[in-house]
Amino acid sequence: MKTIKIEVLYPEFNNLYGDRGNLLYLTQKLAACDVKIQVIATHLHDVPAFTQQDDIHFLLIGPCTERQQELELEQLIPLKEAFQKRIESGAVTLATGNAFELFGEYIQRENGEKISAIGLFPYYAQRFEKLRYNELCVGTLGDLKITGFKNQLSHSYGTLASPMLTMEVGSGWNPDVKKEGVHIHNFFATYLIGPILPLNPTFTDRLVELLAGDAYHPLELPFEKKAYECRVHELEDLNHSISH
Amino acid sequence: MSLRFFAAQLAGKALEWFLRSVIHRGTNKPGEIALRLCPDALARYQMPPLVICVTGTNGKTSTSNLITHLLRKAGMTVANNSKGSNMANGLVTTLCANSTMGGRVRTDVVVLEVDERSSQYIYKYFTPTYILCTNLFRDSIKRNGHSEFIFDKIQNYIPNGTTMVLNANDAISGMLGKNTNPQIFYGVHQTARSTETCINHVCDILACPNCHNPLQFRYFHYHHIGDPYCSYCGFQMPEPSYFADTVNFEEGTFVFHDADGQKATLPFASGNLFNVFNVTAAATICRLAKAPLSLIEKETAHFSAKLGRFEEESIGRYHLVNMLFKNQNPISGSQCLSYLDTIPGKKDVILLVTDSKDSVHGHEDISWLYDTDFEMLNREEIGRIIVGGTRCYDVGLRLALAGIEPQKIALYPNYEEMTQHLLADLTGAETIAVFFELYATSVVNSVKETLAQGGNGHENH
Repeated sequence: MKTIKIEVLYPEFNNLYGDRGNLLYLTQKLAACDVKIQVIATHLHDVPAFTQQDDIHFLLIGPCTERQQELELEQLIPLKEAFQKRIESGAVTLATGNAFELFGEYIQRENGEKISAIGLFPYYAQRFEKLRYNELCVGTLGDLKITGFKNQLSHSYGTLASPMLTMEVGSGWNPDVKKEGVHIHNFFATYLIGPILPLNPTFTDRLVELLAGDAYHPLELPFEKKAYECRVHELEDLNHSISH
Repeated sequence: MSLRFFAAQLAGKALEWFLRSVIHRGTNKPGEIALRLCPDALARYQMPPLVICVTGTNGKTSTSNLITHLLRKAGMTVANNSKGSNMANGLVTTLCANSTMGGRVRTDVVVLEVDERSSQYIYKYFTPTYILCTNLFRDSIKRNGHSEFIFDKIQNYIPNGTTMVLNANDAISGMLGKNTNPQIFYGVHQTARSTETCINHVCDILACPNCHNPLQFRYFHYHHIGDPYCSYCGFQMPEPSYFADTVNFEEGTFVFHDADGQKATLPFASGNLFNVFNVTAAATICRLAKAPLSLIEKETAHFSAKLGRFEEESIGRYHLVNMLFKNQNPISGSQCLSYLDTIPGKKDVILLVTDSKDSVHGHEDISWLYDTDFEMLNREEIGRIIVGGTRCYDVGLRLALAGIEPQKIALYPNYEEMTQHLLADLTGAETIAVFFELYATSVVNSVKETLAQGGNGHENH
């Protein structure tokens, strides 16, 4: 039986907004497939497993606080090549919330100071003070609709060569645009936070199919479809009423 | 005195008199008007020598109310914003009503509950003698982001010289204060309910604040409140000079020790450890204010009964327990759910926890559902879980992921439909526990009416 290895990067930090719901939901979906599941929790001073093993099927990186983000970058910048290799190999990675910013060139603090980031993609994040930026979103990823929330102290700018989402409701990686995130091969990065997988069963099913391959068995959990459909419809209605 | 401040005092006082004597209603309007006339009004009051501010994510209202009560019983006059908001307009309303036209505050003490996020608009104008911070947790995401964001909101605005009174069991709020701020710690020792591992999903500090290696805990009280230490760099919390031990959950008492080595047995409400912290914090402040320990002992007993967040009543054959579930606050929510364990026998549960007001606008972020310990509802003695509100399907999925059988779950996006089906949905359990958010009180009332109509001993199927 195939073992699906899931690595969760820095769980001591990267769980601010119910992000643990992603692992909870994903493992219940995978449990219906003919696979074993192994979860690896990697802490800040550990060497990430995906840099040493080629069979880490799923890498999950959630959002953290601004200071924690800077600590994580100290560890992650030297891993640029390992990330590059991982993306090209087609292994699945999901980075949510401000983890999206880790993969750009730098993050600029409110006072103008620049913090280097991993530097895989030509964009940068600009932090702002005062109120946090909140938004509910519906975006498209190919034929899928993805819903979620944003809660952030920064926006991103630069070149988005391969965005993950085109927003129908809400804005993109900054309030002036509609596109956001990165989707290359099976690398997914988005500003959306929290339990993005249970909020989006159709997207999760795609990921589970990718992970399980021949061992895939679809599983619909109670109420998930109705919850998803309600949320998408409501937000689209809301958008409609705002634009008119 | 400036003309602006005089005008602000005049308008604030006149409006306050009008609202109190003619309309019989207190609002924050007087402070709002006063602030419009004199934006720095807070800087212009001549404060008494003792000014206590109470802040933190949870427990600030209970704690500041108890402090006010105890200090009054100790013979001091106290100005307190319990009837108004905990933001600048509420503070000005309170100070305006308790001061002379010239702005001299007439009371011996000022006790102010202060919203964490309002720190920047408040502490720059005056220097409190003490700032008590009860704790810092993640809270509603939309307003509070994360606990580091709130920590900074307070830390960056603490005035030089203010003494910080801090929770020694909280490695987040316990770090508040700069070099110019003396710190006094209070805490609660290990209890019979302490655990070796965190039983809650959310633990807001998992890495050492100094070296960022995984933090260890000698024990947990709840969430990240416990006795943290770091075996890598030696970090640990200071020993509290005021502390609680010998917590007796059955009797609802604990032993409070002050910095002079005196002790007293104090009561706490609802068998909830939250309240041990609140009473310990209040007793610490009152001892710092020189209130005698014997008086604190006697008067806490009189006050303690009012500290509960839930009410119980009998309706026909039902025993109804209503619990306020602070909106989108997973810590308060999990604490509410854990209370259910202390009620014996079979239960049905009604969840009105997603934001009924927010959902009208389609605005609710439901991430918090995954930070709340709904696993606590996965119990055999719970027969049915009825969920009302627009986001009921999301709650349903969360409950299913917590391992609760779908046939136990009844979902109603529409509250009216929920009450119509209520009697048929109940399994006949004696206790019905209703968890409701702040705006859902009208729904709770229709639940009560339905139970009163149908709950007189007849089965309604």
